[in-house]
Amino acid sequence: MSRHRVAGVDEIKAGERKLVKVNGMEFGIFNVGGQYHAYRNVCPHAGADVCVGTICGTLLPTPVYEYSYGRENEILRCPWHGWEFDLKTGEHLVDPDMRLRSGKLESISDSSENLERGELETDEDGIFLIL
Amino acid sequence: MTQQQQSTNDLDRPKLIDTDVHNTFASPAELLPYLPKVWHEQWLNSELIGNPWYSSLGSVNRRDAVTPSGGQPGSDPKYMIEHHLDAFDIDYAILTGHIVINCSLHVDPDYGSAIASAYNDYMVDQWLKVDPRFKGSLVINFSDPEAAVKEIQRLGGHPNIVQVIMCSGARIPFGQRHYHRIYEAAEQMNLPVAIHPGSEGKGLAYPPTPSGYPTRYMEWHNILPINYMAHINSLVCEGVFEKFPKLKFVAIEGGIAWLPHLMWRMDKNYKALRDSTPWLKRLPSEYILEHIRLTTQPIEEPANHKQLVEIFNMIDAGKTVMFASDYPHWDFDNPKLALAKIPKEMRVRIQSENAIELYGLQQKAKHEGGGLE
Ligand code: FES
Repeated sequence: MSRHRVAGVDEIKAGERKLVKVNGMEFGIFNVGGQYHAYRNVCPHAGADVCVGTICGTLLPTPVYEYSYGRENEILRCPWHGWEFDLKTGEHLVDPDMRLRSGKLESISDSSENLERGELETDEDGIFLIL
Repeated sequence: MTQQQQSTNDLDRPKLIDTDVHNTFASPAELLPYLPKVWHEQWLNSELIGNPWYSSLGSVNRRDAVTPSGGQPGSDPKYMIEHHLDAFDIDYAILTGHIVINCSLHVDPDYGSAIASAYNDYMVDQWLKVDPRFKGSLVINFSDPEAAVKEIQRLGGHPNIVQVIMCSGARIPFGQRHYHRIYEAAEQMNLPVAIHPGSEGKGLAYPPTPSGYPTRYMEWHNILPINYMAHINSLVCEGVFEKFPKLKFVAIEGGIAWLPHLMWRMDKNYKALRDSTPWLKRLPSEYILEHIRLTTQPIEEPANHKQLVEIFNMIDAGKTVMFASDYPHWDFDNPKLALAKIPKEMRVRIQSENAIELYGLQQKAKHEGGGLE
């Protein structure tokens, strides 16, 4: 297990992201309303660099012919086929089994819950990705 | 042939041909040197044909395909080589142009034909000369068959032009006699005729469905294949392939899984109603398998991939289907993944062999390699 500094504490503003490469793997580090999330830069659909996609909101589920925009900056939209992923969970909005993932990442602090996400730690020095 | 010759030949044979790659202008002004002055203002100040549907992706293009100088995806040949051809080991890319192919649906046929000719000269000059892996599609304006025939005769013999292309949006189904002169000219020059979707319901074309206009982009995109069904039905029943027995017709980006239904329905009706098409000598499905070629993208993605393999078997995909990525458009198929679940023998045919046979591309192009310096 190893610990990699990927960003300074205030470097990534809310609603923004940083692309990093650790051990030859690319990750997107996202600040979603003050919470950090790391995802592998590979779309589970067809392999695009998903982390360079648009960070946006979306149309929420509504009754027929009603429109409601929400979840601003909580959605990542793949640059290829436009699949929308929930940045808080990594889940595809249509099929939650299709998740953004880090594959072989493990968390140093957490037992099992976030095994499929890059686990991030923050301290005064910066943000660390634990592989 | 010695064994050594045999293996060199194998190495030289293309392994991956992408049959739908979109090249476009970095700026509309790029067309001006090829377009008569009389049309300049119109070209610069108007849209070729309007588009009523908005995609929630905001653009038809992949967001990650913007060129290094910030230009339109697909507008820089060198970058296309680096970002697409080299990245995926593509031996040939069949260039299918962009909105210019919709010139057949402009209200003014003279303008439509002028745009087609100017684009074709631009393509030869700015794309086909850049790298021998690029092969061109000759744009024609089908609303003026006489002009279209002249264009085919003017440039169809160019060694790097491999087919004629036209938009699939239309007011007359493609089997009818209005188009026969075009097919005759293409057949004489040994060029397949390809159609590409995107203009359904735009310009002079009728609504995309016989019941009218879909409300939104997704709905429009979902239903594009019915127009392809209409054209293939017409081509067969009007006897186009009896009249032009060497003609091949390429249905680009129109989907595939609907084809078995059409073939079976046509065959069943033919058994009862043969006398209404007495020029047909075989089952309609046999004309389809011999003369129609389809491209894969956007490949159907059923949850159970075996179902797609079954459908591919039903239409003899090892003979009739060619790989396409649609680079740099949003519904791009990744060459490494799109066909991964198709059995190897069929996959090889789809990735290269069918296109090798159709376009006569038996040997890989000799190129310097590399895109941007
Ligand atoms: S590759 Fe990401 S949506 Fe298809």
